[in-house]
Amino acid sequence: AAFGLYFPRKEYLENVYIDQPAGTPLLRIHALRDSHGEVAHFHLCQNLIVSRARSHENNWFQIREKTGLLYLSKSLDREDFNVLSVGNWMPLSKVMLYVFLSSHPFQEKECDSASRTTVFLSLINATAPACSSLTARQLCFTEMDLSFHIKENKPAGTFHQLQLPSVHHLCQNLSISYKLLAAEGMPFRYNENTTGVSVTQRLDREERERYELIAKCTVREGFREMQVEVPFLVNVLDEDDSPPFLPNGTDTADAVVEFSRKEGTVLATLTVYDADTTPIYPLESSRKKYTGTIITDDPWITETFRVEHIFDEIHFSPNGSQVRGTQHEYKLVLNKSISVTEHRYFQLDVLVNDTEFNGPERSVMLHFNVSILPVSIQFPNMTYQFAVNRNAERFAQIGRICIENCMKFRGVNITYKLLSPSVSCYPVSILQGREDKWGSLYVNDSSVLRRPECKEIQYTIQATDKQSRKHSKTLLTIVLEGTLLKKEEDCPDSCAVSKHHAECEECGGLGVLTGSCQWRQGSGKGITTNYSTCTPSIKTCPDGTCDVIESRDPAVCPQDCTSGNIIGGHGKGIGNLGIKSGHGICYCFPRQNCYCEKDDIKEQLCDDVCKTVI
Amino acid sequence: DCVRANELCAAEPSCSSRYRTLRQCLAGRDRNTMLANKECQAALEVLQESPLYDCRCKRGMKKELQCLQIYWSIHLGLTEGEEFYEASPYEPVTSRLSDIFRLASIFSGMDPATNSKSNHCLDAAKACNLNDNCKRLRSGYISTCSKEVSATEHCSRRKCHKALRQFFDRVPSEYTYRLLFCSCKDQACAERRRQTIVPSCSYEDKEKPNCLDLRNTCRTDHLCRSRLADFHTNCQASFQSLTSCPGDNYQACLGSYAGLIGFDMTPNYVDASTTSITISPWCSCKGSGNMEEECEKFLRDFTENPCL
Repeated sequence: AAFGLYFPRKEYLENVYIDQPAGTPLLRIHALRDSHGEVAHFHLCQNLIVSRARSHENNWFQIREKTGLLYLSKSLDREDFNVLSVGNWMPLSKVMLYVFLSSHPFQEKECDSASRTTVFLSLINATAPACSSLTARQLCFTEMDLSFHIKENKPAGTFHQLQLPSVHHLCQNLSISYKLLAAEGMPFRYNENTTGVSVTQRLDREERERYELIAKCTVREGFREMQVEVPFLVNVLDEDDSPPFLPNGTDTADAVVEFSRKEGTVLATLTVYDADTTPIYPLESSRKKYTGTIITDDPWITETFRVEHIFDEIHFSPNGSQVRGTQHEYKLVLNKSISVTEHRYFQLDVLVNDTEFNGPERSVMLHFNVSILPVSIQFPNMTYQFAVNRNAERFAQIGRICIENCMKFRGVNITYKLLSPSVSCYPVSILQGREDKWGSLYVNDSSVLRRPECKEIQYTIQATDKQSRKHSKTLLTIVLEGTLLKKEEDCPDSCAVSKHHAECEECGGLGVLTGSCQWRQGSGKGITTNYSTCTPSIKTCPDGTCDVIESRDPAVCPQDCTSGNIIGGHGKGIGNLGIKSGHGICYCFPRQNCYCEKDDIKEQLCDDVCKTVI
Repeated sequence: DCVRANELCAAEPSCSSRYRTLRQCLAGRDRNTMLANKECQAALEVLQESPLYDCRCKRGMKKELQCLQIYWSIHLGLTEGEEFYEASPYEPVTSRLSDIFRLASIFSGMDPATNSKSNHCLDAAKACNLNDNCKRLRSGYISTCSKEVSATEHCSRRKCHKALRQFFDRVPSEYTYRLLFCSCKDQACAERRRQTIVPSCSYEDKEKPNCLDLRNTCRTDHLCRSRLADFHTNCQASFQSLTSCPGDNYQACLGSYAGLIGFDMTPNYVDASTTSITISPWCSCKGSGNMEEECEKFLRDFTENPCL
């Protein structure tokens, strides 16, 4: 930067009293240099900011351009005080001044410069107090913390004066002396003559980023002696002076594309460290500072892959003290879904560049060994055979059809289809949910099951990859078994309606596999996922998901699929569908309400504590 | 208030034209050059004398948002935007007698003479359930905040925040503060206290953002910005008072704290500890770079605030 001078603190604070004489020194402001030979010039903005955004012309305060001493140029009388307090509603009135800094004498006195600091002046509605009434704390330090920031790699210089100019001016008969404790071996020096504190050498944040010292003040008044100690903190500000480096020298990673081929899949991650800090705020500018670019001429590669950069703060400990650094992660990510037929091997290089570092090693090259393997769409080496009971009802789930590795696939769209057999027996169909990787086989026409001429039916199943149109076929055999039972009269068409164990198993309903519903006996107490209920098949209902077959008819499994009211203690399922947990027995009237209640009459009635659910 | 001041200004041709000019000045991208403009400065000077300049808003007033918009349309440009603490746009809360009685009801819990088995947070919930309005709005936000939307999104944070804001705006503080600031002697009670605002939805998130980033997000929203400024005005630790609160107005600080709930800066108890109570918004100072000191200072106003 062209203007390297800077303030070692953002804010200064001092009290101003009524009728303090013109010429009273208030406080001393310091500047630190960026390079040797710079001379600081201080300048005050002509406006005072009064609280709540009013401004007023500054008639009272001035600063010495060379030394940074802020002083009263005109006494502040009661009338001035009232003018400056207007709009202030806090008990204490504060005015704010900006002090600007330049390496050459100010030409035009403008309130506009990159480096500035804020001075808060508390206007005290009283005349200056007698020195004897001030405590040692008030005589020695202001209310503000002694906390400074010093940029690393900058020349030494004085950055603070411990003595308070206002107190020194006011209480000349008091002896106030200071000391800097815990400074041994630290790069700071206290000058007793000027009470100035200086930094004696260039600091390196990557060595140490925080110094904690103690400022001690001794006030002597005749034989009385008082001492105060306050923390004196120095934070070292960071600049980009470290190149990126690789942990353990690892610059290569394998990236294999096999079953996961979906856009957004993270294939591999490589890490780059940097001893500098990287602020995550504002995020975008930090991303731009540290770039990761794929080096290639191949348009296919730039279309298919992208690099995602995330970074996080980590800690290094050089010589014992902890300093913050940055871990950058570069992830190779699929930019689009890759076809199952694609088959390639190549090396993909990513250039990481620390753009603000001014050294020769500002960049590192990362290598990804990319292997794109084709996957085959094929059924396992066998044919499917399922037995179906003749008493099964419509929507009974028979089984799942799945090609090899189907559950591992991501970003591959397989559709399953039954190729119609020539025979007239055709009781089953196949269905597939939107994201499902498998096909569910279910009874579509139960009347066919009852026909004696249908015994063993052969189908061909075909699985097709949507993108490549690759497909595979296999044989499916459905064997009808069991003897036809007489159907109970007066049974509802949904198992979920039954409230009791006995009536449940007497009846059948949509989705049953063997002609009768199944009872699930819950064991848990209170509201539990394991509630008692009557279902067509314990395996699929209730299991917490409303699958594609259950969603075809609300009578199949309302316990998983209902979107209506549930009366009684319960918890709803994902997306407000179904009963995730219930109290006692849960039963449902399809397309109407569900009820969860305890059937046990012996249990005492719900008392007040029980009623308070939340 | 600012809505009224705006009406007064609109009735006066010189005021309304200056106000329009100033708004144009401040709407410009480069604030500093715009303000250096003679016309803008003239407008500013005239407006300093108008009622718009010192206008404020009331918490939960009708047209609160409109009032705040008027407030910030003037103050946004002038207060530098980058100030650490911003002045509250709300009228100062004066503790009335009724407030003191309310406070007494909160702190009666601190009395060791009361039964050690009593759970003040449970009592507060019971008291709320016995009041129709409190019960309705409380069950309203609880069901909104615990409603699962889909497998990936376990609740709608936006709706939850809105319901929480309604609860804290419309239910008298004698109920809401009792729930929020109940005193606890055991972990179950402290956990109930922590759970008051359904933190899994309204508070926690997948990632903890940087606090300065979160503050920036909050400041882009007029309401959130106002509530945060109000919190800083009323809860900023002060050395000049007994309770460390500005003007010893503890009530005002509690009110500002509750006013932040339902915004990006929603604060909560970080754990169910009964001995050390730590409060924080959902953010950390990780990754602050050279702004770490500033970030820590911002966070400390929540985590280590003697007034709060």
